[in-house]
Amino acid sequence: MHIAVCLKYVPDPSTIEADPLTGSIDTGRVLYMMNPADESALELALRLRPPNGAVTVLSVGPVEADRLLQEALAAGADAALRVWDDALGSLKPIITTALLAAALRMKELPGLVLCGGHSVDRGSGTVPALLAEHLDWPVATDVTQFVLQSGRIRVQRRLARGARAESEITLPAVLGLETGLAHLRQASLPSLMRVKHTPIPLYGLEDLGLSPQDLHFPAMTLHEIMPPRPRAQAMFTPDASAPVPERIAQIMSAGAAGKAGKVLDSGTPEQQADAIIEFLHQRGFLEHRT
Amino acid sequence: MTTHPANQQFDVIIAGAGPAGSAAALLTARAGLKVLLLERGEYPGAKNVSGAVFYGSAILNELIPGWWEQAPVERHICRRNIAFMSPATAVALDFRCAGPGYATAPYNGFTVLRPKFDRWLAAQAEAAGAFVLTSAVVDDVLREKGRIAGVRVRREQGDIYGKVVIACDGVNSFLAKKAGLQREFHPHELSLGVKEVIGLDPAVIEDRFHLTGNDGIAFEYLGAITEDVHGGAFLYTNRDSLSLGLIGQISSLVERRKRPYELLERFKAHPAVAPLVRGGKLREYSAHLIPESGWAMKPKLYTDGMLVAGDAAGFCLAAGLYLEGMNYAMQSGLAAAETAILACQKGNFSARTLAVYQKHLKQRHVSTDFRAYRHAPSFVNGPRLQNLYPEIVAQGMEQIFRVDGAPKRKILPLAYRMVRQSSIKPGQLLRDVYQVARTYLW
Repeated sequence: MHIAVCLKYVPDPSTIEADPLTGSIDTGRVLYMMNPADESALELALRLRPPNGAVTVLSVGPVEADRLLQEALAAGADAALRVWDDALGSLKPIITTALLAAALRMKELPGLVLCGGHSVDRGSGTVPALLAEHLDWPVATDVTQFVLQSGRIRVQRRLARGARAESEITLPAVLGLETGLAHLRQASLPSLMRVKHTPIPLYGLEDLGLSPQDLHFPAMTLHEIMPPRPRAQAMFTPDASAPVPERIAQIMSAGAAGKAGKVLDSGTPEQQADAIIEFLHQRGFLEHRT
Repeated sequence: MTTHPANQQFDVIIAGAGPAGSAAALLTARAGLKVLLLERGEYPGAKNVSGAVFYGSAILNELIPGWWEQAPVERHICRRNIAFMSPATAVALDFRCAGPGYATAPYNGFTVLRPKFDRWLAAQAEAAGAFVLTSAVVDDVLREKGRIAGVRVRREQGDIYGKVVIACDGVNSFLAKKAGLQREFHPHELSLGVKEVIGLDPAVIEDRFHLTGNDGIAFEYLGAITEDVHGGAFLYTNRDSLSLGLIGQISSLVERRKRPYELLERFKAHPAVAPLVRGGKLREYSAHLIPESGWAMKPKLYTDGMLVAGDAAGFCLAAGLYLEGMNYAMQSGLAAAETAILACQKGNFSARTLAVYQKHLKQRHVSTDFRAYRHAPSFVNGPRLQNLYPEIVAQGMEQIFRVDGAPKRKILPLAYRMVRQSSIKPGQLLRDVYQVARTYLW
């Protein structure tokens, strides 16, 4: 089987220094690396590769991304290709995936495409689904485990609040994998030296048979990136009309309200019991008022 | 010699892409040799730390004419300041030169940021034809028939063979130790340098340090800033940041139970230093060992199939007046390269052939300088020079300048009284005067 792995060239978050006011990043200090989720996707692809199969790695990125594709070749990938064109402006996930899909169609389509589910820079998590859309293939995202079974693939997906889902999809398919499922193997010294000067085939828009019009997706435009604005903190001020000891108590409690309760000191025992049952019913502790 | 697969066989293998290793790689690659430069970091310079003033501009200019125009340099040093400190006072010698060679090409020294500079230098070696391999930790030397025949890289199938190995792997050179050329160090031979890079606006730096354009200043400090730990401190100006650091001898750090970063904080709070770093933003923090004992810790520099250069050979001159390492590293790297080229021409890599390294080191004034200043490290790190004399100088100046209605004293009687009040014995004083003279005068 032929497996393709999409790799993204991302800035190493530990080297990013952003100005807290403007959010601008000091680009001179940034180092780039292979997106961690993609790295584990590559390792899983290499483990999955049958004896007569092949693993192709591809990336949309500038010439510096060659280093990362060479790393992938050193680790054991069989072929690599890079997509880039100086006509490309900023890359939205939908454009990246259109390019990836076109690049995959250049040769015989793979049986399975593995992607890291989220990149550490943009992190939109939309690439696997958009790529599947371009290819018109099924997709499973947030995948934590998967097993191949005769033309089908059984995946375990992570859902919100700790829930898990198991599903089965048919091949060919795109999988978006969670980060940290596997560590990329260390390349041996000879293969590391071999790939150092391996040229990586480059495909521009023309090579892919695309024109800038094909990449015109006006549905969403990015206007600006801003740093997160810290939430305004309300300063607690005690009630000025309250007596001093109470104001002190209010300050000491830092505005945390005491538990509001109701003291049942009137009525017959039956009425009081009814009031308790009503209270519990209202809060959802009792289903029926019996 | 046994043959190995062509891609695993080099003429020269250089371990460590610092100034020594990259200079050696550049020269040997230019000579047409098949050169492998190994670096443990993700890129050359990733793990390298020093002050960092590079005083070897003229040396590098011979290799790459006008190198400063293409290299990532910060500022050229045309002001130097050496200060004796007591807890509240600083007495300084301030030197400024706008003359040729300092403020004009080839300049005397440049502040550099090592990750950028070392990366650039290694790229020059690569452009000259050296094979640069990063993320390659060298663990051991390979031996064949009693000679060093290559190195073992910490990776699968990591054995790699070369006719000459040049160990430029820094102060704690594993290769020199594995080859039996270097002994284990004593804690008093090494110092620990801790350094901060503090971001500051270039306009503020120029105003604050009285600089114009790309001028830079190097401050060095001796005395009470390190308290009773033997060491010193420095502050250098980069283009838009300051490099500020503190150096403490390991044995006295241990003995006095002091933490270097605490000393660094106190140094930054000293009245003479605090206004210089005010408003700066901490950008980086790093630490490194420094081979301060120079001549005394020099390993055996060569053996069959191997040479040692740079910090690995202890070529770091910490002589009080001088604090230089990168220039000697580069010179020794070049001397090793010349030796390797000669050995390749002869086709003989025995210790006898490689012994010519010593001659090249002498020609490049490395061994002569270290021999000349061989007494300096023990003297500079002595307790009296470290604490007592800076204190006396600082107090003396304080008394000379003080106007409080008391009669003015002339300097000699004042000095006499200061010395009498301190704990120095006349014999010690005489011996120290002799030491200063022996270290610096002849």
